[in-house]
Amino acid sequence: MGSLVRLVSRHGRAAQIGGLVVVVLICLAIPQLGSSFYVSLGLSVLIYGLLAMSLDLLAGYTGLVSLGHASFLGVGAYGVAFGLSHGLDVYPAIGLALGAVAVTAAVFGLVAVRVKEITFVILTLALGQLVWGLAFRWVAVSGGDNGLPVAGRPSLGPIDLTDNGAFYYFVLAIVMACAAILWAIVHSPFGLSLQGIKDNEARMRTLGYNVVLHKYLAFTISAVFGGVAGILFAFFNLYVSPTMIDFNHNGTVVQMAVVGGLGTLWGPVLGAIVIVLMQQFVSIYIGRWVTLLGIIFVVTVLFARTGLWGGLRSAVRRLAVHYGAEPPVGPASVATLETLATEGGQ
Amino acid sequence: MQNFIQQSLNGITYAGLLFLLGSGFTLIFGLMRIVNLTHGATYLLGGYFGYITMQATHNFALALIAGMASMAVFGVLLERGLLRSLRGRPIPELLLTMGVAFIMGDLALAAFGGNPVSVHMPGILDQSSQLGRITYPNSRFLILGVAVLVALMLYLLLGRTRAGAMIRAGVDNREMVSALGIDINRLFTAVFILGTVLAGLAGVLGASLLTLYPGADSEILTFALVVVIVGGLGSLKGAVVGSLVVGLLDNYGKAYFPDLAYFSLFAPMVLILLWRPQGLFGKAGN
Repeated sequence: MGSLVRLVSRHGRAAQIGGLVVVVLICLAIPQLGSSFYVSLGLSVLIYGLLAMSLDLLAGYTGLVSLGHASFLGVGAYGVAFGLSHGLDVYPAIGLALGAVAVTAAVFGLVAVRVKEITFVILTLALGQLVWGLAFRWVAVSGGDNGLPVAGRPSLGPIDLTDNGAFYYFVLAIVMACAAILWAIVHSPFGLSLQGIKDNEARMRTLGYNVVLHKYLAFTISAVFGGVAGILFAFFNLYVSPTMIDFNHNGTVVQMAVVGGLGTLWGPVLGAIVIVLMQQFVSIYIGRWVTLLGIIFVVTVLFARTGLWGGLRSAVRRLAVHYGAEPPVGPASVATLETLATEGGQ
Repeated sequence: MQNFIQQSLNGITYAGLLFLLGSGFTLIFGLMRIVNLTHGATYLLGGYFGYITMQATHNFALALIAGMASMAVFGVLLERGLLRSLRGRPIPELLLTMGVAFIMGDLALAAFGGNPVSVHMPGILDQSSQLGRITYPNSRFLILGVAVLVALMLYLLLGRTRAGAMIRAGVDNREMVSALGIDINRLFTAVFILGTVLAGLAGVLGASLLTLYPGADSEILTFALVVVIVGGLGSLKGAVVGSLVVGLLDNYGKAYFPDLAYFSLFAPMVLILLWRPQGLFGKAGN
């Protein structure tokens, strides 16, 4: 055990890549287990993982916690369902959905980035309820409470995606590509300036950054990835209804990100795994699933402030210190703002 | 024309209910900077407590008291038990209240089931009055009257009493207030209770106006949020104007564009925010 910890700790980068390879292998193996239940569980995790990750760009990295993020899942999913039920082919329907997400995000973002953090939360909650309300009431477009069926899935040349196994790999590839893009974004200079805005908005403004534009871009990018998750959701579920974007579901997305750990990108995926799995397995035994969800949330907010991912990281670190692989006090963490102050502002 | 007057009356009386909710929300936010997302669930639970009291005693006054008293107890528990340890950290406070709201909504569903319930007001309140050519239910006038009364009392409380002066001072500068020897924690608890009591009162009145059902909590919370966003967070005057704007727009929307009812409510909100991000009466910086 000790030597393993030392090994991992000394080769941090290699260990990270190794961990990633293991995760990818597990993801690839799931359809081979031969159970359609695991495949659809895996699909749920992937889609909600992407949704929670996309929220993290906004909430964890920019400091703008949106309580209306499921709306973009909704607009994407309804876009596909609406297009298909009005005679569009699959790919034009996807285009329609992406367009709808982009327009919604552009309009909502215009208002949302003008308000401060707390008002932002309330405003996004209200906007989320607006989308839910339209889905619920605007029967001519959304089918109201009955929802809309999603007729058909895309096909990739000769590969038929109607089978869940093949569809799973399709979703996995897209989610991984999106995750890679999101990872690149948060590690880019743009991503660092988002973190700067989160830490000290006034300072970033003084340094000459266009804070409103940064927030607006973060909002739109985050929404578009949420919309991609929605499109995947529509093809996975083959049915869309207002329930999936109601207040509770908007809250659950935030919960995934917070329980997993905000501002870590992988943490929200972990949160999505935990919550989707619990929903599947615990709700069999406990009728009051939503109550349990609420309790977990309250406990996380009160006691586990860095979320599961932060907890894991500090546990690994403690192990490393315990086995003498790392000095008890690590090197001072790089202050992003200090770095920016010298590099940026040009 | 008659229909328009009818819709306007509906809008104004609905605004009364929204004011009861919005004023509590905005008071709590104004002093404590807490966005209390349990406000909708408090409304729902207060209403349910009023409903069971009404079933047991057939006394409407008792039902009102039960709704308010139960939510006062709830307010103490939430503020002292959970929120106090997070003081000064707005996002965790908000997320905590969201978790609690989930629990309350789900437990209400477990206890009271999925069917809508309502409280019937007794005697003359259950009848209608004739206003010119319009017949209008007295219960709605009662709600409006209660809202006006509460608005006056809050106005006097904040503007004319010692406690109100402390609250106003606390809104402007918390540290200075506690440095002056005022127990700010007690003040916080008191204001928080005032907010939950108003929500409980609104719940019992709402039970007769709108009925109570699972999901009514997040629906009414949305309206309360729009009221305070439009009016300006932390402003009592804003809550008055905001609830009138929202109440009227919602009723006209429902009457004339039923499919787009929510849109007719939210589009003006977006326009107002583009013009004044802090709301009509809010202070810049919130």
